[in-house]
Amino acid sequence: MSAVDFASVNRKSILYGIIVLVFAIFSVRLFQMQVINHEIYDEKSAGNSIKPIEQIPLRGVFYDRNMNVLVDNIPAYTLRITPAYYDTSLNKVLDKVLGVNPGFVQSILKRNQIYSKYIPIRVRRGIDFSIVSWLEENSEFLPGVDYIVEMQRGYPYGVMGSHLFGYTKEVSAQQLEKEKDYYKPGDYVGHNGIEKQYEKDLRGEKGFHYVLVDSRRREIGRYKDGQKDKESIKGRDLILSIDGDVQKVAEEEMRGKKGAVVAIEPSTGEILALVSSPEYDLNQFSYITSKDFLEELYSDPDKPLFNRATMSLKPPGSTFKILAAIAALDLGVITPSTTIYCGGGFTFGRFFKCHGSHGSTNVIHAIEKSCNTFFYNLIYKIGLDKWKEYATKFGFNQKTGIDIGEEAAGFIPDEAYYKKLYGENWPRSIMASLGIGQGEVSVTPLQLAKYVALIANDGKTFKPHIVKGYLDNKSGEIIPYQFEKIDLNIRKEVFDIVKEGMYLVVQGAGTATHLRNPDYHISGKTGTAQNPHGKDHALFIGYAPSENPKIAVIVVVENVGFGGTHAAPIAKKMMDAYLLKDKLKNQKTNTVQPVIAGAQVED
Amino acid sequence: MRIDYKISDKFDFKIFIPVTILVLIGLAAVYSSTLNNPAAVNNFEKQLFATIVAYIVFFLTYAIPTNSIKFISIPGYVLSIILLLTVLVIGRKISGAKSWLAFGPFGFQPSEFAKIGTILLLANFLTRLNNNIDSFKDILIALAIGFIPIGLILLEPDMGTSFIFISFILIILFWKGISLLGLFVVLSPGLVAVSSLFGSVPFVASLLIVLVALFFFKKDLFFSGSVFAINLAAGFFTDNLYNALSPHQQARIKSFIDPMSDPLGTGYNSIQAMVAVGSGGFFGKGFLQGNQTQLQYIPEQWTDFIYCAIGEEFGFIGAMIVLSLFLILFLRLLNIASTTKDEFLSLVVVGVLAVYFTHFLINVGMVIGILPIIGVPLPFVSYGGSSMVVNMFMLGIVMNIFRTRKNYA
Repeated sequence: MSAVDFASVNRKSILYGIIVLVFAIFSVRLFQMQVINHEIYDEKSAGNSIKPIEQIPLRGVFYDRNMNVLVDNIPAYTLRITPAYYDTSLNKVLDKVLGVNPGFVQSILKRNQIYSKYIPIRVRRGIDFSIVSWLEENSEFLPGVDYIVEMQRGYPYGVMGSHLFGYTKEVSAQQLEKEKDYYKPGDYVGHNGIEKQYEKDLRGEKGFHYVLVDSRRREIGRYKDGQKDKESIKGRDLILSIDGDVQKVAEEEMRGKKGAVVAIEPSTGEILALVSSPEYDLNQFSYITSKDFLEELYSDPDKPLFNRATMSLKPPGSTFKILAAIAALDLGVITPSTTIYCGGGFTFGRFFKCHGSHGSTNVIHAIEKSCNTFFYNLIYKIGLDKWKEYATKFGFNQKTGIDIGEEAAGFIPDEAYYKKLYGENWPRSIMASLGIGQGEVSVTPLQLAKYVALIANDGKTFKPHIVKGYLDNKSGEIIPYQFEKIDLNIRKEVFDIVKEGMYLVVQGAGTATHLRNPDYHISGKTGTAQNPHGKDHALFIGYAPSENPKIAVIVVVENVGFGGTHAAPIAKKMMDAYLLKDKLKNQKTNTVQPVIAGAQVED
Repeated sequence: MRIDYKISDKFDFKIFIPVTILVLIGLAAVYSSTLNNPAAVNNFEKQLFATIVAYIVFFLTYAIPTNSIKFISIPGYVLSIILLLTVLVIGRKISGAKSWLAFGPFGFQPSEFAKIGTILLLANFLTRLNNNIDSFKDILIALAIGFIPIGLILLEPDMGTSFIFISFILIILFWKGISLLGLFVVLSPGLVAVSSLFGSVPFVASLLIVLVALFFFKKDLFFSGSVFAINLAAGFFTDNLYNALSPHQQARIKSFIDPMSDPLGTGYNSIQAMVAVGSGGFFGKGFLQGNQTQLQYIPEQWTDFIYCAIGEEFGFIGAMIVLSLFLILFLRLLNIASTTKDEFLSLVVVGVLAVYFTHFLINVGMVIGILPIIGVPLPFVSYGGSSMVVNMFMLGIVMNIFRTRKNYA
């Protein structure tokens, strides 16, 4: 070891080496950060400071076929809690202020625990303005509590439409998982009815405003003066085939009854009215639904949530006689002049009774009088499988594919079914009841509506639907949706014959002569579906005007008895509302207040 | 003796120009990072003022007779110690440390000033030794000169500055010619102290290494025992010191051990600093265009994190220019140190180099995420009047030495 190392070349080299080494390490590190991994940091930096703020578009509104607004958007206050800043000791206070059951706020917070605590949770929509002022006054004592103005659904035409329109509710965790590209917790989505089926049309497209936030997430200003902002696009305004007035009449007539009503335009398959009764108040769903309301609906023995128009399955009763008549005529197993003798019943293994002795009856009068004996005989002439073939042609035993989702397919038996059930020698006597629409045959009111439409329009219509199209916001034009065309390819003469029978049901000596009126002719068929659990279900199918059908109606009223008495008058009122619209309006303006006519004008 | 009248012979532009460019870049970065920041109103103006003062100090120091540098070493050191004691009593507390002396609207950090006093006195003492420092007594005296200010600064407490002191003292000793054993005696307590921070196992392990090393040096029992005792004491002293630290400093040490342990707390600055630099890319986001800087993601960025603003707004190019300017400065200082014939002046130049270099190493290393967060400013660039004036004062000393370098045989 040399004695003097001061400022030796060695030591200089070491310091030199250290300096250059540090420079080299720093340079490499900078190159790695700023050139190689630049994008990772850049993304983080952008995410840090640019916050996208969702712009929720207005949901599309519903117009009826006459451009009356049935469903629109109305502003409402929504109370929100941001859990990160919220003090749970406020739960009780909020429960009291909101006027809800104790524990309500807590339960909502609990349900939303799975989401980031920085996302505000909607606690209650549609809060009263007095609550809003209370929030404003006490905001300093309410950390993490705020309110926003949101749009909720309004129903300005006075139409309930509970099973038609459906309601929106906060997106579920499962749906969120499936469509996380679009929905965020707290978004509203259509839950059933048209709201669900046309969700993608109705919701529009979310927009984003980009704002700059500082390190404390405070908003400082617009990012690039809003150049990068994407404006939201309003949802499509749907034009429904529904006639608000017919729907309203149907709802009024069905109030207090259980059952379903469907009105349809025969030539187009457009649903004019669809009611399932009892209904429920959609307005309740505009708020954050208190559990109580849903539970109430679930536990109601009358099952208001159940859409009877598309889901309830019942034997069609005598309304099904038309089907057998068409099948028989089309197959040529009878002619219009073929008569069958009715002595009050029919014996096949056992005795099947008729409600009278109709004597020698041809098909027209058999329909007019609803002669059971004629149709007991007829189904044997047709054969079970052929009969099913025609039923299937008319759309039974399958879903109609209507555009409101939930639907039942119903059931039409065939030989294979009975063979499976009873063996090769299944009792052929079973068939007799099927001929008059009783027994193991089940249909939905909607299927019957399609069936009437097909009869009224000589076997041609379109798939039943509720939405005609949407209004193009730019051009103001109506863009129609396309629906599948249906053509049964059955000769017009066949329809002419059964339609004569149906004409006589009302206009002749039939079972619904009380519908006769001076303004137009109604054709129809009454029915009574046997109910082993209680009083029979009343049915009526019909259309009007008989000469040029514009509206076909099917009415089912549960547990009331005979169809002509209980179902047919409801159909008549709906036909009036549709066919005599102008006349009724004039009456109203003349007799009540002229102001009302003005109030009904929509812009 | 031949006298060269060319100005470049009396005034080293290879130092002055890089430093001046660094000062200008620093001013731009301070302007950018304090713009629209309510917490830093007038900071740019203050920095501009301090810079002008600093340049005046620089030229004055440049002009004084060179031998007066040696004369101020003892009074300078004593004054430093007095000021460090004063600040502990009447100092102003800024971000957890009592390091500021206030004079009306002005304030300064005695610990900055103490760097000069310590360098000068240590150089003065070492110059008196004719040979290498390998006697135990010499080492102890040298260490004592350093440890008095370090101890006082640790009491403020200011970890970063203490670390700077340790580093430049070691480099000065190294330059003087400390033996391997001497270096071991000086370094080992520091290493043991750092290991003790990581827990008892590394602490015991480092003590064992010291034992093995002592055995290797084959010195007498008294010497070995004393060195071991110093090491042991250093470990326990660190432990006590750690407990005496303020929570924010403990947190900093914790995040030094595991920086990502708390991304929103103590690790926050480190992560945001790296995001700022990395997102700058090759060309940078442009002056006043860095969102990390402009949106104040890093608290008090204009001081210790100024290099982020440069990295973000001027990109890889800007960051490399700053690195290169420092490289030129350091190599030039090293060159002057090794060509200066006078031992005292040479040691002073190395001391100045060591101060600049350790600041640079810790500051940039921290910003680019390869060293823990230790708050020290980047010389000539960071906001801070005391640091700017003291750095320019030291540069003036170096330039003064350069001016008269040919006067010594």
